[in-house]
Amino acid sequence: MPSGDYSNKMTRVLGWLAVLGLLAGLVAAFGYAPREVIQGNVQRIMYLHVPSVLTAYLAFGLVLIGSGAYLITQRTGWDRLAAAAAEIGVVFTAVTIVSGSIWGRPTWGVWWTWDARLTSTAVLLLVYVGYLLLRAMVDEPDARARYAGVVGIVGAANIPIVHFSVKWWRALHQPSTILGPEPSPIATPIALALLVNWIGFTLLFAYFLSRRLEIASLEEEHA
Amino acid sequence: MSPMPDNWSYVLAAYGVAAVALIGYWCYLSARARALTHGRRGRGQST
Repeated sequence: MPSGDYSNKMTRVLGWLAVLGLLAGLVAAFGYAPREVIQGNVQRIMYLHVPSVLTAYLAFGLVLIGSGAYLITQRTGWDRLAAAAAEIGVVFTAVTIVSGSIWGRPTWGVWWTWDARLTSTAVLLLVYVGYLLLRAMVDEPDARARYAGVVGIVGAANIPIVHFSVKWWRALHQPSTILGPEPSPIATPIALALLVNWIGFTLLFAYFLSRRLEIASLEEEHA
Repeated sequence: MSPMPDNWSYVLAAYGVAAVALIGYWCYLSARARALTHGRRGRGQST
């Protein structure tokens, strides 16, 4: 079987798994998880917001790995991986910021505040939008991959800043409850609903990544 | 009884915007793949 056919089949399987995962996530968020005692139903936005940011971390982590591996090995496959992951990471970061803003309006009374977590996340988005713009501006493939590799590594320094911003600075945003050092204070049904949604988002990310890598190899054939 | 009202409109808005962003990105990828596949077929026929 040609590898292209196998890859297409794998992408389709990932697509269907992502659909099932997201549907299970919706059932968990709206059918299984209880109404939160303080915030009421608006807390259900967390089942979208938290998995989005965790998926964005995963994407930008892959940008770091792809960038570093390209600069060491000069293999274009690593550069393709970094570029694909960056594009998808930007989409998930945008979903994180918008969903957080919509949650913030009824909960904090404002759509946006220059809190450390919000500001560092906005900077994260701008860094990777800049990464994609840089790729679009440089025509020569080797130079593009090299410059993007450096930005991909430097940009990743912002990920721990985003994550630990709520510990390092006085912030309006609540501290980390999922990837925090302390045991999670979240009630089990809420944690389970978050986990199901996290799996659904990770499957969607894997599907997007597989699709984007197929497109990258088609683009290379056309170049 | 929760101290906050339910705010279902905000919940719907958040999920709606996310659906538009994710489905929009999926449509973009599909259109890009279609354009490149058609381009490859066209090139194959012309040679």
